[in-house]
Amino acid sequence: MKHLIPEFEKLRARYPAGFESSFVLPCLRRIQEDRGYVADRDIDALVEYLGVPRIQIEEVLSFYGQFRRKPIGRCHIQACRNVSCSLLGAERILDHLTKKLGIAPGQTTADGRYTLSTVECLAACGTAPVLMIDDAYHESMTPEKIDALLAALV
Amino acid sequence: MPEIFINGHSIQAERGQSVLQAALAHGFYIPYFCWHPKLSVAGNCRICCVQVEGRSWVEIACNMPVAEGLRVLTDSDTVKAYRKSIMQLMTLNHPVDCGICDKAGECKLQDYHYKYNGAPSISRDAKVRSTKFHALSERIVLDNERCILCSRCVRFTSEISKSNALGIIQRGDASLVRAAEDRPLDADPYSDNIIDLCPVGALLSRPFLYKARVWYLKPTPSVCPGCARGCTVQIWHRKQEWKLNALDPRQNVSIERVTPLENPHVNGPWICNKGRDLAQIFERPRATQAMQKGKPVDLPSAIESARHLIESAGHPVALVSSWGSNEELGALKHALPGRFAAFTKHDWTPQPGERLDDDLLIRADKNPNTATACALFPRQDDGASAIAEDTDLVLVWGEGFDFVRIPVGAKIIFLNAYLQPENGHADVFIPISIQTERRGHYTNFQGVVSAFAPCFPKKASVADAETLFAAIAATESARA
Amino acid sequence: MANTKLLMTFPVTETSHTLAEYRARGGYGALEKALRQMTPQEVVAEVTASGIQGRGGAAFPMGRKWAVVHPNDGQSHYLCANADEGEPGTFKDRWILEYAPHLLLESMLIASYALQVRNAFIYIRGEFDLPYRRLAAALEEAYAAGYFGERILGTDFACDLVIYRGAGSYVCGEASALITSIEGKRGYPRNRPPRLTVRGLYQKPTVINNVETLSNVAWIITNGGEAFKQVGTAKDPGTRLISISGHIERPGVYEIEIGYPFAKFIDEDCGGILGGRALKGIIPGGISTKVLTGKEIEPLTLDNQSLAAAGSSMGSGGMIVIAEGTCMVRLLQVLLRFYHHESCGQCTPCREGMGWLHRIIDRIVVGEGRAGDIERMYQISAWNDGTTICGMGDAAGYATSGILNKFRDEFEYFIEHKRSRCNGTLECPKSS
Repeated sequence: MKHLIPEFEKLRARYPAGFESSFVLPCLRRIQEDRGYVADRDIDALVEYLGVPRIQIEEVLSFYGQFRRKPIGRCHIQACRNVSCSLLGAERILDHLTKKLGIAPGQTTADGRYTLSTVECLAACGTAPVLMIDDAYHESMTPEKIDALLAALV
Repeated sequence: MPEIFINGHSIQAERGQSVLQAALAHGFYIPYFCWHPKLSVAGNCRICCVQVEGRSWVEIACNMPVAEGLRVLTDSDTVKAYRKSIMQLMTLNHPVDCGICDKAGECKLQDYHYKYNGAPSISRDAKVRSTKFHALSERIVLDNERCILCSRCVRFTSEISKSNALGIIQRGDASLVRAAEDRPLDADPYSDNIIDLCPVGALLSRPFLYKARVWYLKPTPSVCPGCARGCTVQIWHRKQEWKLNALDPRQNVSIERVTPLENPHVNGPWICNKGRDLAQIFERPRATQAMQKGKPVDLPSAIESARHLIESAGHPVALVSSWGSNEELGALKHALPGRFAAFTKHDWTPQPGERLDDDLLIRADKNPNTATACALFPRQDDGASAIAEDTDLVLVWGEGFDFVRIPVGAKIIFLNAYLQPENGHADVFIPISIQTERRGHYTNFQGVVSAFAPCFPKKASVADAETLFAAIAATESARA
Repeated sequence: MANTKLLMTFPVTETSHTLAEYRARGGYGALEKALRQMTPQEVVAEVTASGIQGRGGAAFPMGRKWAVVHPNDGQSHYLCANADEGEPGTFKDRWILEYAPHLLLESMLIASYALQVRNAFIYIRGEFDLPYRRLAAALEEAYAAGYFGERILGTDFACDLVIYRGAGSYVCGEASALITSIEGKRGYPRNRPPRLTVRGLYQKPTVINNVETLSNVAWIITNGGEAFKQVGTAKDPGTRLISISGHIERPGVYEIEIGYPFAKFIDEDCGGILGGRALKGIIPGGISTKVLTGKEIEPLTLDNQSLAAAGSSMGSGGMIVIAEGTCMVRLLQVLLRFYHHESCGQCTPCREGMGWLHRIIDRIVVGEGRAGDIERMYQISAWNDGTTICGMGDAAGYATSGILNKFRDEFEYFIEHKRSRCNGTLECPKSS
């Protein structure tokens, strides 16, 4: 994590004084972006850098859905299954994904390529059903579009 | 001083109080789990809800500021129905472990169930399962199924002991109290207070686990001798009517557990873990046999020999125990002949790694009555220097004295409660009682005097220092 | 009725979100006016005069919220824009973030000036990537142009803004949870008192406003509060961004003048029900608002008063359309799974209640429903009404009792016959 400290220092510029505790979320996000997940030694390093109690970081990592403490597949496929997506076929999309990838939500393919998750509303309801792959939204999905996407994602 | 009305009765509340505080101060009971007078307001259990007159809904009382003219109802039908619903929700997934749970008999959930619910669960769905027997630390076991997530334990480690050892991970009904992964709860000398704080049987003492039902035990008020703070404690031991017949009879006269005795002048509602472990101090092997140079003698003979040594000593020195009670120290002061050079001894010194003065309770002076001892015997023993060469008698009272400091040829009278090799070296050894066997007082470093009472009977062969001093200091002429 | 536009006033192109084009449309003119011609108190007065209500779901008048913050009290004040947009069915703030980020930034500068805020925040949900990048780019443009930092437009006004990214938690859209999240902790809502405008972020006076609500400030300052009142209705002035989705021909974000006829909006502006099917129901303002049947919608207008009279609410502006043939039991299952997953777990009624509701609906859906289940769901909903730390418990209760009220027969059928009367259907084909 230490190599990220210059970035963290720049981050502080627009915050008022005394906001050290606030840096926990942005720092964790950047660490996860960098490593793919947040390792135990990252937590130790962040405790030392920010001076916050270790338990605060552990709580934050377990409370927020986007943080993870273990690596996942190279490509994270997140399928929304909330109302509007369900009304427009999200269940069918998820079925197609589980068959195509051979894994259930929460699992990673044996070759480490794909992790499949279900997520809640992504605020893309107008173009449902929607998938979030890594950081990007893929809207108005169909099984055909999924096949094309997976083919391109090598 | 705002005037508020509780169930129609006028109350003079204090500015800044919550309705809950005002109600409790004036004898109106409102149930609560998560609120605690020494912790910040969490407002998560929701059972302290009351109804403001004229409103159809309920609001929590622990976070409702008193205001001039405020009128609340604590026992309306709406409030009663609401309390019952909270009890139903709380017991929805709570395991019916009462039969095997140490908290039974002192459990708020049980108490409130009988008082405010009195009905079985209306759910017919399986209970949510979670971790049981989670070792939160070496001393504390956590059962997450019993936990009602009141967060008292978390707030304690954050606000009082400041170890920041505990938190709540995950969310929703998957939330779990957990210790930080670098295990600071083990290093928190106040950790066991969360066992008292826990309103249910989620946090339990591992040393105490399954030892006894709480109603088999009775608490005797005492004072912790672990340091000069002198926290008042309750020493729990078996009630006579619950004594065990079949097993080792020593179990009927042992310290089952120690809890704080709430004391606004000294320790509030807390003690440190050393106080919890008083059995480790008081139940060390005891000296019960008077001896002369290692040879067993009866107590009267020992007393007579000691008296004779004292009467004939020319340059005697006394090492005074800072574990002596006010009464014992007073008796010694009265009885000790003026020829004695008396020094207050610091019986116990801090162990390596033991915490010294801190901001909460712990004091670096690990003796309960240095205050009175120094008041009566101002010269203090430094714990190291050799005793003056011309000393012909050393009277050692209590632990912590290195006999190598005594000049060769000097006689030794040793008064001690515990088995120690030095007992056999003394010219006269007299076993003495400990605080759990008698009544007495200690004065703490701030001058507060606290009382302890006896829990266990004293053996006949063991002397009480208070009466012993008069006996061994009496001169022939005085006795005649 | 006329359909005035206040926000969606320009054609969206590849570059319409940039500073250059925003300025070409008159952007940052309101900021100039506020800083050069008005005092902070005058800005607050103008916003109060507009009568604008919050567009995040709670409909609290913005001027009244702002008025709680005392000027010159010697404390730091903070302003937070709530861009968490997690309410299912709602995606209208996203439109502003992606296409009109400078509108939000300018409005926040004016609000910061009015409230004596030196440090402002936008809390944006972690899943928003493109909106975040658009917003961040716009912020850098604005800093470079001198609209943020010290001595803005050569005046004494200084302001810094931080875009704070969330990390996947619906409850962080609740104002007190939002600021606890900005403090770097779990998104745990707080009990009131104290109000956040008295003790909020790090215990300082804090104003939290929805993105859309804030974005109206620039127009209000340019044209005046009175002019704003001429749009919409007397009690609920202005326009609303409606994000409509589900079984509707033309889903998307629309700006309607408040008071616009509901049925007209559905049938004409949005093309009617998908595939020409009959309308079963509409959840008008995010899943926490009570569902209305096709018949109930006919006489209504899109404003809080009309919907309140019908027992519902405009809520977050997230409209979800449900065609005939959709299984309402399975729909409720989706909602309860969501609430259960998102409950923060602090307070007893919500923490235990959400799990309980979810377990009951799951049982019903697999054919193990029991006679008392419907009453039990009503009871759990009632136990969460007004008794929890935040509104999420109430919301789940409204969603549940709303659907049970209107479609009880479907639930009774499912429990008795151990299967859905509608074949468990949720999906409706896109085109007929």
